[in-house]
Amino acid sequence: MSPLHLIAGVLMCAPLVAHAQPVVVTEHVRSELLVHAPDGVAPGKPLWLGLSIEHQPHWHTYWMNPGDSGLPTTLSWTLPTGVQAGDIQWPTPRQLPFGPLLNYGYDDRVLLPVALSLPEHFDGDLDVKLRADWLVCKDICVPETGAFSLHVPATTAISTHAALFDAAAAQAPRVLADAVATGRIDGQGLVVDIDGLPAELATSELQFFAEVGGVIDHAAKVAQQWTGHRWTARVPLSAQRSESPATLPAVLVVPGQARGVRVAVAVAQWTAGTAPPAAASGALPVDVARPASVSLLLALGLALLGGALLNLMPCVFPVLSLKVLDFAEPGQDQRARIHGGLAYSAGVIVSFVALAALLIALRAGGEQFGWGFQLQSPTFVAVLAALFTLIGLNLAGVFEFAGILPSRIATLRASHPTLDHALTGALAVAVASPCTGPFMGVALGVALTLPTLQALMVFAALGLGMALPYLLLSLAPALVARLPRPGAWMLRIKVLMAFPMFGTVIWLLWVLGLQVGMNGVAGMMAVLLALAFAAWVIGAVDFGRGERIGFGTAAAILLVATCAWALPGIRASTEAPTTASASARWQAWSPAAQAEARARGRAVFVDFTAAWCITCQFNKRNALADTDVLRAFDQLGVVLLRADWTRRDPDIAGELTRLGRSGVPVYAFYPALAQAPELLPEILRVADLQRALNRPSTPVDGPLSTAQEGSPR
Amino acid sequence: MKTMMKIWTAGALCGALMLGGTAAMAQAVVGQPAPAIAATDASGKTVSLADYKGKYVVLEWTNPECPFVQKHYNGGNMPATQKKAIADGAVWLTVQTMDTDGDDAEAYADLQSWQKTKNAIPTATIIDATGAIARAYGARTTPHMYIVDPAGQLIYAGAIDSKPSANPDDIQGATNYVSQALAEAKAGKPISRATTQAYGCSVKYPDA
Repeated sequence: MSPLHLIAGVLMCAPLVAHAQPVVVTEHVRSELLVHAPDGVAPGKPLWLGLSIEHQPHWHTYWMNPGDSGLPTTLSWTLPTGVQAGDIQWPTPRQLPFGPLLNYGYDDRVLLPVALSLPEHFDGDLDVKLRADWLVCKDICVPETGAFSLHVPATTAISTHAALFDAAAAQAPRVLADAVATGRIDGQGLVVDIDGLPAELATSELQFFAEVGGVIDHAAKVAQQWTGHRWTARVPLSAQRSESPATLPAVLVVPGQARGVRVAVAVAQWTAGTAPPAAASGALPVDVARPASVSLLLALGLALLGGALLNLMPCVFPVLSLKVLDFAEPGQDQRARIHGGLAYSAGVIVSFVALAALLIALRAGGEQFGWGFQLQSPTFVAVLAALFTLIGLNLAGVFEFAGILPSRIATLRASHPTLDHALTGALAVAVASPCTGPFMGVALGVALTLPTLQALMVFAALGLGMALPYLLLSLAPALVARLPRPGAWMLRIKVLMAFPMFGTVIWLLWVLGLQVGMNGVAGMMAVLLALAFAAWVIGAVDFGRGERIGFGTAAAILLVATCAWALPGIRASTEAPTTASASARWQAWSPAAQAEARARGRAVFVDFTAAWCITCQFNKRNALADTDVLRAFDQLGVVLLRADWTRRDPDIAGELTRLGRSGVPVYAFYPALAQAPELLPEILRVADLQRALNRPSTPVDGPLSTAQEGSPR
Repeated sequence: MKTMMKIWTAGALCGALMLGGTAAMAQAVVGQPAPAIAATDASGKTVSLADYKGKYVVLEWTNPECPFVQKHYNGGNMPATQKKAIADGAVWLTVQTMDTDGDDAEAYADLQSWQKTKNAIPTATIIDATGAIARAYGARTTPHMYIVDPAGQLIYAGAIDSKPSANPDDIQGATNYVSQALAEAKAGKPISRATTQAYGCSVKYPDA
């Protein structure tokens, strides 16, 4: 749309002001002023006017709150003395997404009805003039104006457009007399609680249309849940909220249905951060835990320690142990060892800092990411699975990397052993990414709240910690001397290490399965098979030239074919819930579910977990499966919520930030009447849980009597 | 475990690829530090918010084809607001978020020749071809205005003025929120309307 078009559009309307009539046609809409007087034009009889707008395909006009952009249609009437026009009876709007933005409005055909009231002694014909302004948009917007006039004869009943007016009435949101809607501020969200909704809505996911703009984040997902006829939702507020209405009228719509219901949400207190009076509804405020006040120095110390402990995590241990075996190889002088140690450390630290810089940049860009974010991408998990398979095959002796490297690179590698060490360091960081070890959680959580430079220092400390064992070995020949003498056992250890690698592949495939479903895993396994075949071809030293070419071509074709077959399955993310987290005892976490349980005065335990987090899985199968712990949960009526972060979820990321953490696992226990949660250690022990559960602050009466409700349906 | 170079290279490549996906809108909040901006302007010069520390910075989202932008440019309202702000020592960054189809140069040429006809002389003009800046600020409309104070805090987010319409006649009699906020901030007064509801066309995010 050029400005010229626009002028043309406006000019088209201009003559209509002079010769006003009931129809205005522009490039984008056909609009008409209609009247509906089924009992004739007389005082006390129903009398409606309505502006009908028929949009060209893909064009739309806006609702009373247009959403992120746009303008509502406005009507300005010129009526005989004493005649009054009401407000537009807006039909239920539709959501109109545009990139990351969301608008509310109408496409196709809409009728905006207005009720007219006549003065008591009104007599004669009715002459009506209307000036209407609407903004009509597709990917561009055009403001249009129409001047309409209508002569309505008094004598006859007019029901020509009865069907249209009836349809508009049937699309007007139903006002619920019995519904009680309240809202309270919880951080950056408005927790809306509506009781007494009609039965036919129950269990449906509802869209929430605020009638006032500048309040909610229109495009953000509304976390919600039903408890009988009661709907609890957390409506994210706009970060740039400009309005604070004491009553927020809103329309709730089941997607796809033409008619919504209208409720007025009474908002307790708009000042964010202040707790509403607990007495009001017996509801306890969900407090905002400030990130633990850990000093930079302490964060650096924790990061160093956490990094060192990372080496013991199952994903890193094989890499490190093989690296250490290198020392035992004969023919290395001390200088080369020190070089290697420094290069490896540099590789680890630079990779950590680079990953952290990426994470910080993405967060600055508004992404809800935390540590471990890489593994929320099925593609990354698939690439890791392929990488681990190759490493495993290499360790098992199926092939040597030397065999596949072009000679130029091989020479480069030989002449740049330092680079080789550095890249191994980078690899170690890549394989370490699934693990958040002990002490890391606090350090990383703090890091992401610090200024960028300090945050990067914490990550560098983490890297240094991880590189430390190897670095120390390389610097201290006395330690190396204690290593066993080289021999045939080294080869055996190497092959042995292939098995944990393959084990890791199984685990990665399981994660992938939760992310993309069985088809994606089947495709990926075919890719791995093709990789194994290719590795065998490369490693077969006794092949003749013809065999090499033949098998090589077959391997290449197989690899390409399986990749092509598997890729769509891996890319397609399923919307199905990650079943790993569902169980009879545990409910899915949502801000609303947590708020609701807390409002009922229940203790709440939240398990922030992810399929790709090994520590999480370990805790889930040990401390969290302990029969004594489970019995204590039941006795205290603790509501158990599980926040599964296997896939990206801004709500969970936001909650983690709120708790001062950036990755999983996090275990938050909210005692029944306490304000702040207690965060338990990342490596969860039964004793830690017992201690937290048996704190005196946990009431021994009250919730006890309803203990069995703690295990949800 | 002698070498990892080849597979590591492959891994790094794939790792870099997997970070795509649609992003949520960001949370630039009035009263908190303004999101960083690192961009190159038409002349290839780096534009960074940090370089303007010590000055007020006005951010203006624009789109010459949008009638709401035209409302404030055709009558000279936006260029006048801009001239006044710059004369008072502020920095004015005009941002257009759009899909350039890879041709940023042409986008810059179009935008700047339009600015010339409107006598608009911002401190710098930025084409936000990825939408990253718009996301960081949560920009929704054209125009959408932001003010960053000398300490780097966001002090205003919202509309250019108080009358949401496309009608140029409404400029007369509307409160210019940007001029008002700048004047109040400089006088050390609290800003009477620090967040308002921006109105206009949608910001044309490249993935829209």
